[in-house]
Amino acid sequence: MARCSCELPSGRFSVVIEFQGVNKWFGSLHVLNDITLSVQPREVVVVCGPSGSGKSTLIRCINGLEQIQKGDLVVDEKRVGDPATNMTLLRTEIGFVFQSFNLYPHKTALENITLAPIHVRKTPRAQAEKDGRELLAKVGLGDKFNAYPSQLSGGQQQRVAIARCLAMRPKIMLFDEPTSALDPEMISEVLDVMVAVAEEGMTMMVVTHEMGFARRVAQRVVFMDQGSIVESGAPEEFFSNPKTERSKAFLGKILRH
Amino acid sequence: MIWQQLESLAGSYPLAMRGLGMTVVLSLIALVFGTLIGFGLGILRIGGSRVLSTVIGAWVDLIRGTPFLVQIFLIFFILPELGIKLDAFTAGIIALTNLNACFICEIVVAGIQSVPKGQVEAALASGLSKWQRMRQVVLPQAMRVVLPPLVGQYVLLIKDSSVVSAIGLTDLTRVGWLVVQRVPNGLLVFFLVGVGYFVVCYPLILLARRLEKRMSAAHGEVQL
Ligand SMILES: Nc1ncnc2c1ncn2[C@@H]1O[C@H](COP(=O)(O)OP(=O)(O)OP(=O)(O)O)[C@@H](O)[C@H]1O
Ligand SMILES: [Mg+2]
Repeated sequence: MARCSCELPSGRFSVVIEFQGVNKWFGSLHVLNDITLSVQPREVVVVCGPSGSGKSTLIRCINGLEQIQKGDLVVDEKRVGDPATNMTLLRTEIGFVFQSFNLYPHKTALENITLAPIHVRKTPRAQAEKDGRELLAKVGLGDKFNAYPSQLSGGQQQRVAIARCLAMRPKIMLFDEPTSALDPEMISEVLDVMVAVAEEGMTMMVVTHEMGFARRVAQRVVFMDQGSIVESGAPEEFFSNPKTERSKAFLGKILRH
Repeated sequence: MIWQQLESLAGSYPLAMRGLGMTVVLSLIALVFGTLIGFGLGILRIGGSRVLSTVIGAWVDLIRGTPFLVQIFLIFFILPELGIKLDAFTAGIIALTNLNACFICEIVVAGIQSVPKGQVEAALASGLSKWQRMRQVVLPQAMRVVLPPLVGQYVLLIKDSSVVSAIGLTDLTRVGWLVVQRVPNGLLVFFLVGVGYFVVCYPLILLARRLEKRMSAAHGEVQL
């Protein structure tokens, strides 16, 4: 489904996530090196790059799971890390999907989904459960509301995790390698859900090496190496005609698999 | 001779029941308050301000690193010097509760730390506040790690309560000392005292086992 930024609803800010010269260190390790990047509403950006290049750190900064040390990071018009910004409130607008799912093992699928709506959004329980069941049906797990995470496959757990984020009706969804902990046959069921979310117009940043996904829904691919954004462009352009030696080498490696 | 001793022991039955009652009441009060305070301390040790956390840590180390007998003497003899009047019973309760709370604090801290980091991150990312994360996500998972040593601590508490006999409280142990002065068969008397403690502790051990089973049945297995 083709979308372009010219269709933006007027009166809205035209940028949801903006990195301006962002730097981060873990001790002496320079993990994010002068990152400048902006994401438009309804845009889907895929982030790729070799292991340790800072992809997870990049998106974890957006909802404050990691702190930046230098530069500006503005998300949904709020400055991340600014004492005036209510980070807890900002996080309710940002869904985060983890590589390892991180479902709450002591809660059923439905309870996982309704926890934040009930306690954070103060949605009445009955309403939250109704919404939760609808979301479970939407990710293809309508009959699993009573299952505990340990009773679900990896692919099913990740779909519950996505539904858990959607239940908060976030403005932004972040995905950190959502399919790399999955057996190959379960990858597509999760990607299909992500595609559906993208097609509904969600603003997304997705760390993934799933090139098929990038081609289907991403407007932009960002390639990172050693903490820097080395290259960024439309998926077709990036995959068929990478411009730097590093991106060529990287694509050569992942496409050989 | 044994017959005479048994007869004379039977005469001590009401005293023994009083002693057992004292042991149970002391332990029960210290168990309830020690648990509440211990959980509070453990949660604040992890989630409280740095100063609070350090103070709690230091206090817990101090209590864990000194003999209970010394603590109980300090409380019983020093607090009155400072103008705080208290009887042996109150002193015993305070000392036992404090000891229990400190050990439970450590158990709770270990339980909280056993919860995978990803769980807290998921809760954080969904906008739950600090106390909501603790209440809804961390503590329920920590409980499975906390429960077995917690009940073990209750058993220790009941046994530690015997130290209160040193400040003159007539608990089961002190009853043993009193009786053995009339019935000179220490082996028999203290065997019975031991049985008394075991009778109180054993149901607790059984209860713990049942709770543990119920908890793991409710959750399914925790994934690492
Ligand atoms: N909490 C941390 N403390 C110290 N170093 C860290 C921490 N988290 C990440 N790093 C380091 O920062 C660098 C970037 O890590 P990051 O997880 O962002 O990379 P990545 O691109 O997501 O890699 P991968 O593909 O393996 O997930 C790595 O060298 C990593 O070892
Ligand atoms: Mg990563």
